[in-house]
Amino acid sequence: MAELHIIGHIVGATGFPHSSLFCKWGVHTGGAWRLLAGLKEGQTQVDIPQTGDMAYWSHPIDLHYATKGLHGWPKLHLQVWHQDYFGRCQLYGYGYCHVPSSPGHHRIDCVTWRPLGSWQEQLAQMFVGGGPQLRSPDLIYSGADRYRLHTEAMGSVALELGIIMRHFDKYGVES
Amino acid sequence: MATGNPSVFLLTVNGQIEGANFPEYDNLYCKYCFVYGHDWAPTSGLEEGITQITCKGRQSSHKLIWNFPLETTFKSTNPSGWPQLVVSVYGPDVFGNDVVRGYGATHIPFTPGQHTRIIPMFVPEPTWRLQKFTSWLLGRRPEYTDPKVVAQGEGREVTRVQSQGFVTVSFHIITKDMKKMGYDVGPPSSAIAPSATSGWSTEEQPHGL
Repeated sequence: MAELHIIGHIVGATGFPHSSLFCKWGVHTGGAWRLLAGLKEGQTQVDIPQTGDMAYWSHPIDLHYATKGLHGWPKLHLQVWHQDYFGRCQLYGYGYCHVPSSPGHHRIDCVTWRPLGSWQEQLAQMFVGGGPQLRSPDLIYSGADRYRLHTEAMGSVALELGIIMRHFDKYGVES
Repeated sequence: MATGNPSVFLLTVNGQIEGANFPEYDNLYCKYCFVYGHDWAPTSGLEEGITQITCKGRQSSHKLIWNFPLETTFKSTNPSGWPQLVVSVYGPDVFGNDVVRGYGATHIPFTPGQHTRIIPMFVPEPTWRLQKFTSWLLGRRPEYTDPKVVAQGEGREVTRVQSQGFVTVSFHIITKDMKKMGYDVGPPSSAIAPSATSGWSTEEQPHGL
């Protein structure tokens, strides 16, 4: 069995309307992958930057997978939320990126989007916040039924991921 | 002695905590420690330490320099739980009490070569304004009982923090027997290539990526 280590962290997010942000993240894999160590989902702390608009989380990710096949390569999906002064949470964006498939250190900027409602919902969102959310988070990293969605672009999340691969070359995999 | 199939690999970390960039604070010192998983053990060097107290120079008004050496070697059977360097910065407040100015953590790089890491630092935020005022007055800010918590991902979802400042650390990494055990860590980094975090400079607060 080949092994994959994902060692890195979610650095932070920038480009969102307000900067008091936190992120719910998870890693989704296909059926041939088995998680040997580490947490495959979590939630960062809420960061309120003192200066600038980039919120920094430095949330560590340390995952150890074993796999029998290349299908279902791990995908990291994210939901960026905003927490206001009163503790209310509002969705600011969904995004996903594939975990890099070559060993070494990678810096990734994951772009995010938010579902857009009707013009009445957008008007209400301007005043009271809220807004439509996905019923099931699977849509963040799958392409099925996306054509039904109308979305707007939001900010981006910075990730630093280090990849260590073991025994992939024994099975003839080049990366 | 045949080293045909080693079961243990070594990671040697030589580096320094170069300094910090805290626009609002001065006269800071830094405590560091290494946090690692169950499969890891340090074989030589110090696991934790405290730097000197430094203040901003007159020429470069935003830079605080420690130039503090780090020299540690770890051994392990498994890259899971790769060591992290946890850094906590402390300094005096208006009344002279020693308060925490930031916590931060970064993974030790695993490709051999030279690396620079810029670690964003954050402090826990008090939950309501009155607590913020009393903690400012009495000098008892919210702190973590064990700074190693910063290296973990669990339990973070209930904390609010304020990020303020950055610490710059540089590493020179040597590994032994990782290739023999079958681990591919990618191309070694070259000293000239800029670090991945160089986009977040210590010179000023970055305004987007």
